[in-house]
Amino acid sequence: MPEKELIEQLKQLQEVKPNKNWANWLLSNILTKSHQEGMIKPRVKLVSFSFIHQYQKALVSAAFVVLFVSTFAFAQTTLPGNPLYPVKTLTQTARLFLTPKDYKSVVRLQIAKTRLEDMAKMTDQEQAIALMSQNIQKDLQTIPQELKNIQKKQVSLKIAKQVQNEAKDLNNIISKTQLQFQDKEALEKTAQDTQSQVLSLIIETTEEMNQCPSYLQDKLANLQKYFTDNVQTLIQWPIDDITKVRTLLADISNDIKAGNCLESLEKMESINQILQIHSLDIKVETSTPEN
Amino acid sequence: MTEQEFTHFYNNNIDKVFRFIYFRVDKIEIAQDLTAQAFLKCWQTDNNSKSVIKNPQAFIYRVARNQIIDFYRQKNKTPISLEELKEKGIEIPQKSFVFKIELSFEMESLKKALQRIKPAYSEAIIWHYVDDLSTKEIAQILNKNENNIRVLLHRSLEALKKEINREV
Repeated sequence: MPEKELIEQLKQLQEVKPNKNWANWLLSNILTKSHQEGMIKPRVKLVSFSFIHQYQKALVSAAFVVLFVSTFAFAQTTLPGNPLYPVKTLTQTARLFLTPKDYKSVVRLQIAKTRLEDMAKMTDQEQAIALMSQNIQKDLQTIPQELKNIQKKQVSLKIAKQVQNEAKDLNNIISKTQLQFQDKEALEKTAQDTQSQVLSLIIETTEEMNQCPSYLQDKLANLQKYFTDNVQTLIQWPIDDITKVRTLLADISNDIKAGNCLESLEKMESINQILQIHSLDIKVETSTPEN
Repeated sequence: MTEQEFTHFYNNNIDKVFRFIYFRVDKIEIAQDLTAQAFLKCWQTDNNSKSVIKNPQAFIYRVARNQIIDFYRQKNKTPISLEELKEKGIEIPQKSFVFKIELSFEMESLKKALQRIKPAYSEAIIWHYVDDLSTKEIAQILNKNENNIRVLLHRSLEALKKEINREV
């Protein structure tokens, strides 16, 4: 049989069809059955929460961040004995660690005050209170030393005043604690010592800074005299150094008039360094006078 | 697929699917049952599964093929019972839809020849030469490329010619 004829015969097989009634019955049977079983689902998908899969990682991370932050926030309200209190102390330690060196004394005092307030709220944990009291005493004793270690007098004075201000209500808080008489007395004494030392430091630094102008004026006069008397020697210097010394002397004079004691001291030190470079046997006393 | 879309799909394909099954099983009642099951499964799958059926035509032919394979597997065991059909969602109507398909002697011979060649060949011939499915559509049903289908059709036609000539 030729291929063309075979294909034509195959086309005739399209006459084979199912019964029309059966086909209609089947369609209605399928559709009716699905209605009865509630099989048809809405074609519009419920997409209200479909974003959850899309942003799963971000949401999980965000949830962890929220949990972490809320735990830390809640921990700040806890008292010793609470399982979350170590989180609070950890936060305080981290805060102290991250504070610039010069400002550590202020933060240390603030933390000590917070712990004293926590202590004041505690009632029946004598051992824990006593231990906390000892730690607070250590912190308070450290504060004056930290203030003394600050290099710049102006900064030292500013921070010491902040500490003094913060320490005003220290005794008031201590009095509210449930410490035993001896412990309370020891803590009060430490607080008073700290306050006294801070006050002493403030007075000392203020006096140093007040004395500074008259002292510096004398030294400036000496320097100016020296350079006037030794003109021949100065001729051998490079022109840049001579210019620099002249500028520094003028600046020192202006700083003294403006009350910038520390700046003028630093500039005087710079002149001394130049003199040493040129091996001149002269050194101007730039440190502040001892009382 | 909405009801309307399914109805449209059903009307376009019921004759072809029935024919495809009938040529393979050679019994009207069984062809009716398997056709019914295939369409019901297509409708249920589309409504129940999370992913929408992308190519319903390819899907229903694949289901029909599997129904035929299952039918021949179970043929030697037990016939499909009425209850089993009911469980599968096919309710047998009170009035019978049994009818006869009258074919000329030549057509009957051709049908018999189709049943004697390899099932893969007869399927390809029914789809392409009887039901006018393109090579691309057949490729989608069988998950093969079009070149494979062209080769398959060529071999199928050769096998059918040989079978008819042998009979003569």
